[in-house]
Amino acid sequence: MADHEHISCQEVVELVNDYLDQTLEPDETSLFEQHINFCDGCDWYLNQMRTTISTMGRITEDEVPPETRDKLLSAFREWKRT
Amino acid sequence: MNAYKFLRTDGTGVFTRFAWPLPDRGPGEWVEAEPDPCRAGIHACRLGDLPYWAGRVLYEIELDGHVVEHKTKVVAPRGRLLRRIDAWDDAFRSGYTRYCADRAHEIARENGIERWEEVIEPSIPEGPALLGFVAARIADAAGGADAYHAERARQADWLAERLGLV
Repeated sequence: MADHEHISCQEVVELVNDYLDQTLEPDETSLFEQHINFCDGCDWYLNQMRTTISTMGRITEDEVPPETRDKLLSAFREWKRT
Repeated sequence: MNAYKFLRTDGTGVFTRFAWPLPDRGPGEWVEAEPDPCRAGIHACRLGDLPYWAGRVLYEIELDGHVVEHKTKVVAPRGRLLRRIDAWDDAFRSGYTRYCADRAHEIARENGIERWEEVIEPSIPEGPALLGFVAARIADAAGGADAYHAERARQADWLAERLGLV
């Protein structure tokens, strides 16, 4: 993935789930966090992911309004076709 | 051993958001966490690690127990903040950022890779962690991994000397 001492913004996007799941190797985590430390854009992205995961974890299926559920299902079906 | 730790301005950990017990007329309370590098434990910087983690507020931290040495950090089971390094303030951060920017220009010009200079000045508002990386990255482009590490070591020396750290 990364070259010897740094990772790119693209790699941060690819690794963000593994980082949040704590499944990166220590060296990878270190490079990931060094990047987050100096890149405001990736720091923002990481925080958005954290917020999204936290919010999704609190919502039950019953709490999703029918129209929202239909929109989501439609979007997923469209996504699957592309 | 004693080491250093960057925190956010509110005294929380940069990545964990843990609210550290801050020194107040004496060391802060001990914090304990079983070490697992990059996942758990008390993470801190040696002098040579400071440029990699340059943040908003810097403390000296006392580590206790078996300290695991990592490439750019150390991890221990116990730690307490001893004192804030007051010299690391906004003016110092700006000065260090400028130093890194000037080094980045110098390395680029010395090595005939002036095209790299385009990224330097626009990066300055992002602060010292980015400019330290930019200078080391340009050194890397000019001379490979050894040059990258040499530039990082040079940054650490600059910081240690001016912050009065040994």
